[in-house]
Amino acid sequence: MLELKNLKLSYGTSQILNGVNFSVKRGDVVSIIGPSGTGKTTLLKCINYLVKPTSGTIDFDQIRMDYARPDKATIQAIRLRTAMVFQQFNVFKNMTVLQNVMDPLVVVQRKSQDEAREIALMELDRVGLSAKKDQYPAQLSGGQLQRTGIARALAVRPDVMLFDEPTSSLDPELVGEVLKVIKDVTSSGITSILVTHEMQFAKNISNRIVFMDAGVVAAEGSPSEMFDAPANPRLAQFLSTELETQ
Amino acid sequence: MNVSTMIPELLEALPLTLAIMFVALAAGFCLALLTTTFRVRRVLLISTLADLYVSYARSVPVVLQLFIAFYGLPVLVGAFGIEDFLSANLAAMVGLSLYHGGYLSEVMRPAYLAVDRGQHDAADSLGYTFQQKIARVVGPQAVHIALPGYGNSIIYLIHNVALIMYIGAADVMATAHLIMARDFNQYQFETYLLLAVFYSLLCLIAWMIIRFFENRASIYTLSNKPAKFSLTASV
Ligand SMILES: Nc1ncnc2c1ncn2[C@@H]1O[C@H](COP(=O)(O)OP(=O)(O)OP(=O)(O)O)[C@@H](O)[C@H]1O
Ligand SMILES: [Mg+2]
Repeated sequence: MLELKNLKLSYGTSQILNGVNFSVKRGDVVSIIGPSGTGKTTLLKCINYLVKPTSGTIDFDQIRMDYARPDKATIQAIRLRTAMVFQQFNVFKNMTVLQNVMDPLVVVQRKSQDEAREIALMELDRVGLSAKKDQYPAQLSGGQLQRTGIARALAVRPDVMLFDEPTSSLDPELVGEVLKVIKDVTSSGITSILVTHEMQFAKNISNRIVFMDAGVVAAEGSPSEMFDAPANPRLAQFLSTELETQ
Repeated sequence: MNVSTMIPELLEALPLTLAIMFVALAAGFCLALLTTTFRVRRVLLISTLADLYVSYARSVPVVLQLFIAFYGLPVLVGAFGIEDFLSANLAAMVGLSLYHGGYLSEVMRPAYLAVDRGQHDAADSLGYTFQQKIARVVGPQAVHIALPGYGNSIIYLIHNVALIMYIGAADVMATAHLIMARDFNQYQFETYLLLAVFYSLLCLIAWMIIRFFENRASIYTLSNKPAKFSLTASV
């Protein structure tokens, strides 16, 4: 349903993405792993055009765009069908938890307040935050902030969920509660792309693993192919250092 | 003539003084909004002009800006064939609006830039248009950041209103000087003291209004308690 071809991106003189090819089928849960700074976040942000690739194409069901010729309407169409969960949560600081989840429904989707509230309350219940609905972000823990972010993303009913290292800015004791919610979301059948350093978690929830290295997709396959018998030497090395630190 | 009869005379000049101030406040705000927009969303040429304007407003002494408005505006409107239409009061309004707008833009721009990049990303990713993003997310947060600076620029504006007598506008300062001259320079100290009280009161009111909004917005800052209300050492 989603295919990126030959994606290239550079910041100034440093080339970050060197021709990434990446695709996702409906219902897939794909985890992107790889060393720090290889462009995993950047790749994810290319999908909804939060960063601007210099070349490459995206095919998203019937939507198609050449990044060399970005088009506002197409970008908007893609954004309306995806939702992102951020490493830094990026919950709207001037709104309560409930307002955070409702606002996109009212402002972007033009739903009525009542309808938006109903959906928002349902999603907040799903992430276990009903009791915190009237709190402002400044009053919440990292885990609660991230669950707000997830509820906000789910509420817009995206075709694809984009998770960018959703647990890496959390205190260790808060990681569990967020992973539990993500597991619940991905097992509900929604197509998801997850950038993560939680190797065990990626192995458990994904049906495909993509290994990025030096701005390209260096290897991909099923979790067992990738984790149990890594053919790619760089991947094997990455996994051994990664598992050591965990 | 004594001090008590002087007060009503001074007060007669008050409405005009306040009118000039409020015009500068409102027009300056709109100007600052427009200027800031072009300074954060770069548009060829217009953005450079906006930068130039802000440097002018911030670096040229306000008295000089008032003289430039006073002598420059007739030339400008004269070019459109309009003559004898500018009064000192109108020039004061224009001069102060330009000053306040430029000054305020340099409060608004850093406040806008201080809003976390992630807030933009989140709004963009959800499909907010630029206007929606500003109205719903970035604007309210920037306003909160800008409020103390805005309070200061209002206070500077109030102070600088006292300068418009130099171009012959009939504000409270100018009126006070007329009264003193007429009354053989008696009660000079009292008159200036009265003006000082008048300006202090204006600033106090402005400060209290700003403080009210600061407290209202503080619900979503890191500290959950509203800022302590104290009248001293604030204006
Ligand atoms: N706005 C930017 N300007 C310049 N360089 C950037 C910018 N954003 C990211 N980079 C650089 O691009 C590279 C890729 O960044 P990216 O965040 O995509 O890596 P990542 O794979 O997500 O890493 P991590 O696992 O640490 O999150 C990094 O070297 C980073 O320093
Ligand atoms: Mg990253």
